Amino acid sequence: MTPLLELRGLTRAYGSLTAVSGVDLSVLPGERHALIGPNGAGKSTLFATVAGTLPATAGTVLFDGADVTALPEAKRARRGLLRTYQHSSVFLGCSVLDNVALAVQRVHRVAHRFDRAARRFRRTEAEALRHLESVGLAGRGADPAAALSHGERRQLEVAMVLAAEPSLVMFDEPTAGMSAAETERFAALVERLPSELTLLIVEHDLDVVFRLADRVTVLHLGQVLASGTAEQIRADDAVRAAYLGSARTDDLFTGGTP
Amino acid sequence: MSAAERTQAVDGIRPRRTAGKAVVAVAVLLLLAAAPLVLGAYPVSTMTRILAFAVLVLSVDLLTGVTGLPTLGQAAYFGAGAYTAALVGIHLTSDASVQLLAGLVAGLVTAALTGWVAVRARGVVFLMLTLAIGESVHQVADTWSVVGASNGLAGMPPITLFGGPPLLAAGFVYWWVLAAAVVVFAAVALVVRSPYGRTLRGIRDNEARMRALGYRPALARYGVFCLAGAVAGTGGALWAAHARFVSPGDLGFEVAALALLSVVIGGAGSLWGPCLGAALVLLVRDNLSAAVGGHGPLVLGLVFVAVVFLLPRGVAGLAAGIRRRKEGLS
Ligand SMILES: Nc1ncnc2c1ncn2[C@@H]1O[C@H](COP(=O)(O)OP(=O)(O)OP(=O)(O)O)[C@@H](O)[C@H]1O
Ligand SMILES: [Mg+2]
Repeated sequence: MTPLLELRGLTRAYGSLTAVSGVDLSVLPGERHALIGPNGAGKSTLFATVAGTLPATAGTVLFDGADVTALPEAKRARRGLLRTYQHSSVFLGCSVLDNVALAVQRVHRVAHRFDRAARRFRRTEAEALRHLESVGLAGRGADPAAALSHGERRQLEVAMVLAAEPSLVMFDEPTAGMSAAETERFAALVERLPSELTLLIVEHDLDVVFRLADRVTVLHLGQVLASGTAEQIRADDAVRAAYLGSARTDDLFTGGTP
Repeated sequence: MSAAERTQAVDGIRPRRTAGKAVVAVAVLLLLAAAPLVLGAYPVSTMTRILAFAVLVLSVDLLTGVTGLPTLGQAAYFGAGAYTAALVGIHLTSDASVQLLAGLVAGLVTAALTGWVAVRARGVVFLMLTLAIGESVHQVADTWSVVGASNGLAGMPPITLFGGPPLLAAGFVYWWVLAAAVVVFAAVALVVRSPYGRTLRGIRDNEARMRALGYRPALARYGVFCLAGAVAGTGGALWAAHARFVSPGDLGFEVAALALLSVVIGGAGSLWGPCLGAALVLLVRDNLSAAVGGHGPLVLGLVFVAVVFLLPRGVAGLAAGIRRRKEGLS
């Protein structure tokens, strides 16, 4: 099977600091792939480079068989390559429903229609509501997004990105700031997602990682330290060494909660 | 309360609020329409100018309040519309609807030609680019003899409608301007509520996120820039229909600044708030100024400072606050 996403020697430098350094990575269609690594390992930078928010310094991003390294972010998103942000990025001055509808109306190709009121585009509204329901925000559609709690904003981001009809979603620490109940809802939602949807998840909560992921890649100082199944990763000496001294060591090897 | 109950509660409020709004809108419209029956020619003429200026202010609000692009260039498109309508009136036809259409197209085309560069920028850079556009167009009007250069363009005959006699009475011109302004207001309100309006608000709030969702913000911004140009051009044509004289001062920096000021005072993003702001600003400049010894600009400056400190969301924000408090009590 050809990978949906393939990175070849992907490198991204901030001046003299090389945050992502020669990363090779393949993600197969339908795979649930976790990316873990200590703080500052370059996970968010990798996501930004793959999504096209930041240009790559060197290397190639292949998506769905095509070289997208030079494509602007919006074009990659239109091809189905979507991401969420480590720090919530929503439309604070818009209603909660509008946030999700913005994603839906682009997919429905009505984002530039101005001849009718938005609520009369029934299919778009219904689809946006369905996504709000799936993350448990059904009753909050009319509220301004600024009125949502931190955890609810994380949920809203999940709804937005799924509403954009992606083929690959990169979640950057989706459960950071969520309550235990919200985290459980998120994990259950991901488990219910159609199996052809490919996911790449950065996650510090290793319970969530080992529950959701088929494969795990460990990033350390911008480089791939190990890549394999959850069992292989737990047993890997290099991973153990990289995490030594980090407060999360125990979580990784015992599966405990931080 | 379950999610379904909450949705119902929200939906339950909506029809009542919409009905209340409709009643207010109809009452305001009736009052405005009745004005010439009870008021003299001078106040009616003042109101006509306010309506035309309010159309310009709506175009500024579309850019500044809805899309988040503060602008000082809309007077240029207002002027393009006014000059074009006056030229059509002098050389082609006195039919006001033809002049209006000509003004709309002039504003649209001028904005389309000048906007592509401006929409690449945002914030202060965008503000400066629009200022430069405004000053350039003002320069052209001030020096080009075809449009009367600094003397302005005079000699426009009174407008006619649908082949009727010339509308000499201030009241008839007022009704025409009122009808046109109401149609523009409704059109802008529709745009703001449409999916495109949602796109524009998304760009205002978080442009980077829009790109990550697959949008091309520059394209949407260019669209609204052209649209705002058309609205401003329409306002200019209405202005000319009433004044029957256009001078470079009508598209100068002062007009652009007053339009932006009206939006801030009224509450950026709301539509009726900036219209109230337009009325206040023109009244202070043209009518109150004499009463305070020609210190109209000073009064406007004080009003502006007071609004920024006391009503950061303008008059519309104040009204929304009162409504929320009432709902909280009930
Ligand atoms: N905009 C930037 N400019 C300069 N250096 C940056 C920038 N963003 C990140 N870095 C640096 O790049 C390295 C990788 O950062 P990155 O945010 O990608 O790590 P991360 O793995 O996502 O970490 P975390 O787990 O804390 O989110 C860090 O050393 C960081 O300080
Ligand atoms: Mg990160």
